Amino acid sequence: MTDPEHALERARAAAATMRAEGAYGEDQRQGEAPATTLENLFEWAMIDPDLREVRSTRRLGAPVTLLKLGLVRLLNQYHAELLSQQTRFNVHILGHVRRLETRIDELERVVREQREQ
Amino acid sequence: MRIHQLLSGAGPHDAITSEAVSFRERFRSWGWEGRDYAVHVAPGLNGHIRMIKRFKPKADDVLLIHHSAAAPRLRELLELPNRKLLLYHNVTPAHWFWEHAPNVAVQCAVGREQLPALVKAVGVAAADSAFNASELEALGATRTAVIPLLVDYGRLGPPRPGDPPGPPTILFVGRLSPHKHQDEVIRAFASYRRARAPDARLMLVGDPISSRYLEHLGNLAETLAPGAVSIESGLSNAELGERYRAAHVFLCLSAHEGFCIPVLEAFSQGVPVIARPAGAIPETTGDAALFVDDPDLSVVAELLHLAVTDAELRTELRRRGQARLALYAPDRVAQALRQAVEAAASRG
Repeated sequence: MTDPEHALERARAAAATMRAEGAYGEDQRQGEAPATTLENLFEWAMIDPDLREVRSTRRLGAPVTLLKLGLVRLLNQYHAELLSQQTRFNVHILGHVRRLETRIDELERVVREQREQ
Repeated sequence: MRIHQLLSGAGPHDAITSEAVSFRERFRSWGWEGRDYAVHVAPGLNGHIRMIKRFKPKADDVLLIHHSAAAPRLRELLELPNRKLLLYHNVTPAHWFWEHAPNVAVQCAVGREQLPALVKAVGVAAADSAFNASELEALGATRTAVIPLLVDYGRLGPPRPGDPPGPPTILFVGRLSPHKHQDEVIRAFASYRRARAPDARLMLVGDPISSRYLEHLGNLAETLAPGAVSIESGLSNAELGERYRAAHVFLCLSAHEGFCIPVLEAFSQGVPVIARPAGAIPETTGDAALFVDDPDLSVVAELLHLAVTDAELRTELRRRGQARLALYAPDRVAQALRQAVEAAASRG
């Protein structure tokens, strides 16, 4: 019997042996969620709602889901206008942030070079 | 005494809602009056929880505030003269959700921002684990209490005597969400299946955080272990109990847990637990789970193999699991609850 306190140790040893025999690939844990980057923000700036989320969560809710999707379709022009205005703002503000970042990078480079001299 | 419970959201499959309903039953048995309210109330609650717009407390009523996400109109609530008890269930850090569920990320980001104001405004700050209580203490709470989640394990039905028949079956129960790392469960399972048990099955049970994330997990499962992974949501208690009873091992690789009810449910059904020691998991499971934090998923696979095949290890883990459950017996939890409410009520 393996007691619970020694199970991990035994599993590690077995994994090393099995790996040497070619049983396992290089599958590693993914770890923490990556930090949000400016590239992520540009991707998210284009508002793109997932219509699969427009649904009823009740059991036997299919007719309600159809009704909701019908309403979305009816309001299509309004939503298009809303999305275009929000996306315009998002894209412009991100462009502004990117320009500021570029200026900060440039200023930091100048300060670094001055310190080195 | 009159005590009202306030929740940000209430739903039929939500652990905090179930706890609030159980708390109310206890309050009634102690002769305490009051009502329960939520900002968002999902259909199917049969009047257990009322909409918060109907909330009109008298000055000497006690308020029990459950905090697990953003609470709209919080300032109005905190400005009420009533004595208040906070019960903090933890708010998952928002960075886990920005990509797949921005609406949830916003709820979490705001929920965390609100926490300092809550801590400052309440007489007693309680949490359902010492891990969660430590977050309150870091924000300046001087008087904290731990009230573990009140869970009715009997709703799952009686455990199966002995091991389930059929091929090795691995189970994880929890919201399908990036911080629960069902992706790593699938990867570890695929390695285990490839190296040790070609007929093994994996069951993932939980409501998806978004359709996009569900699709992502489904694609991953089909790529790495075609036909061997089932993903289910919206199960009844009886169906959930059946899934536990069909499992040989419960595998939890979650990166953030404020309590983790499913590991206790696994104990109650006699299912050995392997878990990553993250958040409150070590505190909840004690010595009754096998912990693994190795980045190499082949170690997880080998631990699965050991937990499935070593009969004596399984028996010992079951014994420890049963002993652990005694700590979370409903009467013990109810006693901690009563003490915390009375402490809050006694503060002027």
